[in-house]
Amino acid sequence: MSTVQVEVQDLTKSFFDQSRGEIKAVQEVNFECRGGEILGLLGANGAGKTTTLRMISTVLQPTAGTARVLGHDVVSDPVEVRRNLGFYSASTALYPRLTARETLTLFARVNKYPAERTKSRVEEMIERFGLGDYAGARIEKLSSGMKQKVSIARTVVHDPPVLIFDEPTVGLDVLNALDLQKAIQELREDGKAILFSTHIMSEAERLCDRIAIIDKGRIRATGDLEGLRAATSQHYLEDIFVHYVTGNDTTE
Amino acid sequence: MNRRTVTALFANDLRQLARNPRVLVFAVALPLVLWPLMWFLTSLTTERRQERIESRTYAYSVADEAANAAGAADARAWLDRALAVVGDDGGADGAGPAGGPAVRFERLEAPDDVPAALEEEQLHVHVAWEAGDGEDLSDDDESAPRIVLSHRADLDASDSAEGFLRRALERTRTEVREQRLAAAGFESPPEDLLPLERIETASEEQTSGLFLGRLLTAIIVMMMLTGGSIVATDALAGEKERGTLETLLTTAASRVEIVTAKNLSILAVAFATSVLNIVNIVVWMQLDLIAAPAGLKLVIPAGAGLLLLLLYAPAAVLLSSSLLLVSGRSKTYKEAQLLFAPVMLIAMAVAAIPVLPGVELRSAIVLLPIANLGVAAREILTGHYDWPLLAAAWTVTAGAAALLARASVRTLSAEKLITASDTDAADLAGGPALFPRRVARWFAVLWALLLVWQLNVGGGIDSRLLIVTNMSIFGAAAWLMIARYRLPVREALSLRNPPHAAWVGVLIGAPAGLVLADGVVRLASLTMPIPEEWIEAMAEAFGADIPVWQMLVFFAILPGIFEEIAFRGVLLHGLKSRLKPVQLVLVAGIAFGFFHVDLFRIPGTSLLGVLLVIAVLRSGSIYPAMAWHALHNALALGSARIEQIRLPDQPTWWHYVLAALAILVAFRLMRQNYQRASHPAGSGPEGRVPGG
Repeated sequence: MSTVQVEVQDLTKSFFDQSRGEIKAVQEVNFECRGGEILGLLGANGAGKTTTLRMISTVLQPTAGTARVLGHDVVSDPVEVRRNLGFYSASTALYPRLTARETLTLFARVNKYPAERTKSRVEEMIERFGLGDYAGARIEKLSSGMKQKVSIARTVVHDPPVLIFDEPTVGLDVLNALDLQKAIQELREDGKAILFSTHIMSEAERLCDRIAIIDKGRIRATGDLEGLRAATSQHYLEDIFVHYVTGNDTTE
Repeated sequence: MNRRTVTALFANDLRQLARNPRVLVFAVALPLVLWPLMWFLTSLTTERRQERIESRTYAYSVADEAANAAGAADARAWLDRALAVVGDDGGADGAGPAGGPAVRFERLEAPDDVPAALEEEQLHVHVAWEAGDGEDLSDDDESAPRIVLSHRADLDASDSAEGFLRRALERTRTEVREQRLAAAGFESPPEDLLPLERIETASEEQTSGLFLGRLLTAIIVMMMLTGGSIVATDALAGEKERGTLETLLTTAASRVEIVTAKNLSILAVAFATSVLNIVNIVVWMQLDLIAAPAGLKLVIPAGAGLLLLLLYAPAAVLLSSSLLLVSGRSKTYKEAQLLFAPVMLIAMAVAAIPVLPGVELRSAIVLLPIANLGVAAREILTGHYDWPLLAAAWTVTAGAAALLARASVRTLSAEKLITASDTDAADLAGGPALFPRRVARWFAVLWALLLVWQLNVGGGIDSRLLIVTNMSIFGAAAWLMIARYRLPVREALSLRNPPHAAWVGVLIGAPAGLVLADGVVRLASLTMPIPEEWIEAMAEAFGADIPVWQMLVFFAILPGIFEEIAFRGVLLHGLKSRLKPVQLVLVAGIAFGFFHVDLFRIPGTSLLGVLLVIAVLRSGSIYPAMAWHALHNALALGSARIEQIRLPDQPTWWHYVLAALAILVAFRLMRQNYQRASHPAGSGPEGRVPGG
């Protein structure tokens, strides 16, 4: 069994807003993720998925609790956490005036990938993601499918053991979404620990080894699909989700 | 900090800029052409206007009424003589103002409605004359004959005609007067009477240096800001808008590395565009397309140039950090552009201070970033080096630059950057939780207020009234902060009973502290001598005409109470949770010194501030610090009046060693006893001595 790569304990996050006061976005969330595993965070919009993943990627500071990536604490050792992490989300854009090759080189350097291996690693990524014909073209000239491939390549160019995909298929057409899912599955085969958030049931069902159902900032249930089915006597993930979120049995 | 990461980010910023042709054209190339072109066109327009003014023919008319009055003949003769100079037959050339160009005047019949004729420009100037009652032109009575010129100042031609004619009349008047003086026996021409001669002892470089030094900082600041803003807008606000900021923040680059790279990009572009602009202007000047301002010599000696480069380095970082901070705090590109305007205005206002006459580096200006370097640059260019003050100015601006750079790093850590949350727990809760973040702001405003008050009003009033006013300001500010942030008074002001031995500590510590403070003042006076005027003013303020009890009340007890409430109470309380013990002692202590605005007073009063902060932290109570402060002031005043307690005129090293030992004993007494008194078995950590 692979070792635990991501460990989250009682992770809590509150936001403060002049008009709405204190908003508890994430409350005492616990989970762990091992190498070669895809853990899905399944929740509706505003459930706390992105906030949780942003805390793990050190962009947000937890209000309470801890999160560790390869044993590095997100608060006390954020640079080491990010060095071992690749973060991909619909809101993480690319520099439009760089070429694909320049983009990959930049992110390898910034993520402190060994200098002597940077060039070969960039070429390896270009080949792996089929970017060869477009490697010299500026990002602004690429199609959205190609941009997405460059985005994944820049997420993994420094070969991090942990990857975070925050609703990565939002806004993608079916074919591009399937391509992306395929790439994520391949990364799992490489032994990466992958945190994958989504509100699309079929996606979670197809990709995730384990699923954590999150609602109103709390984890309602965690387990593999079979376990969740057994615990709820529901077959479809959609029904399982509704069961945990609303407490209503949707079986007719 | 990883150099490879910084280099990669820096190169990325420059690459982004280099591949944005629109920015390059509009922000870099176009100004290179437009600025000198504007300069060239302005001088060309001025030249053309002058030519037009001098080449045209002006129409004038002369009134003929009142010609029969007494004295009119003389006035008329004078007028005719003047008019003969400018010519009165259409097209006749006449001499212009002395040494000036020739202009043409054409005499017309006086119109019935002079104002209307002037408005319609049928006429440019009308000459009327009032004969008065006097019999002679030399009569200084109000009714003496006079010439009245009517014109329209809002019409170019009329205004110029009036100017030419007036100067011709004035010249005629001078000639008439000189003829009359000669006729009366004063044969010497006026220029032979008490001739004046000027001797310039400053070198040409120094004179030119003064001219350049006044403007140099403002020009450099303007160029740096204009060039730097090209990158700064995109640096964080642009990244935020594009969505690349979150990508960057999730990489292994630390916030310090990101800010360093961004600052380097801003500096590089600002420097490059400044050099381009300067070279561009010099080339235009060399081609004689634009003229250099009179008195300006663009030659800076190598040594001075090197020193200036070193001097401006922290100013450049300060400016780039300001721009980066604004960019980081802006939600969008447009908002950043909008916010740059006030930054530029403030920076330009500060950079223009060297233009003001009489501003010297050896004054409070040394504490004002950028302005201090501006004044320093002026002094360097005129050859007046003041090394300690140059170092102080550099340190102050470098310190401000470091603070702003740190603020930029903190901005990058702010969650507001990528979330919709508009505040945090302390902001939302307000009150005591927010106070530690606001305390520095309050005291900065208080400092500015006191500076303005003391510079403008303080000098001219009774010293007792000055003390009462200052203490009222401190008291009111402390009360405002306590009320605004709902601070627990007892906790905020450390109103606790000190142990008995603390009072013994005060009796030992205060005189010892005075000896040490005196030593620091002596040391500081090697570079910052106490001005004689200040000593005289103090002697007058604390003169024998003030009764002893008043001296004690106004200059010892009141400061002992109110300054302690403000500095060792509220300020210390606000800073306590944000600083480590050593930082706390230094920051709170030196802040107290800076409130004694005169430069030479800052070192000594900073030491006192440090000692008083330690006294509060060791004893857990403000009362010993109040007593110490009051006793310190009383002894300082007393030593000037009473022989028995006078400070040694020639102190030796053992005076200071003994004083230092005495202070250690005083602090030891305070702490030992405090712990016993305030922490009985099982008591909580409240009031615990930091670092203990």
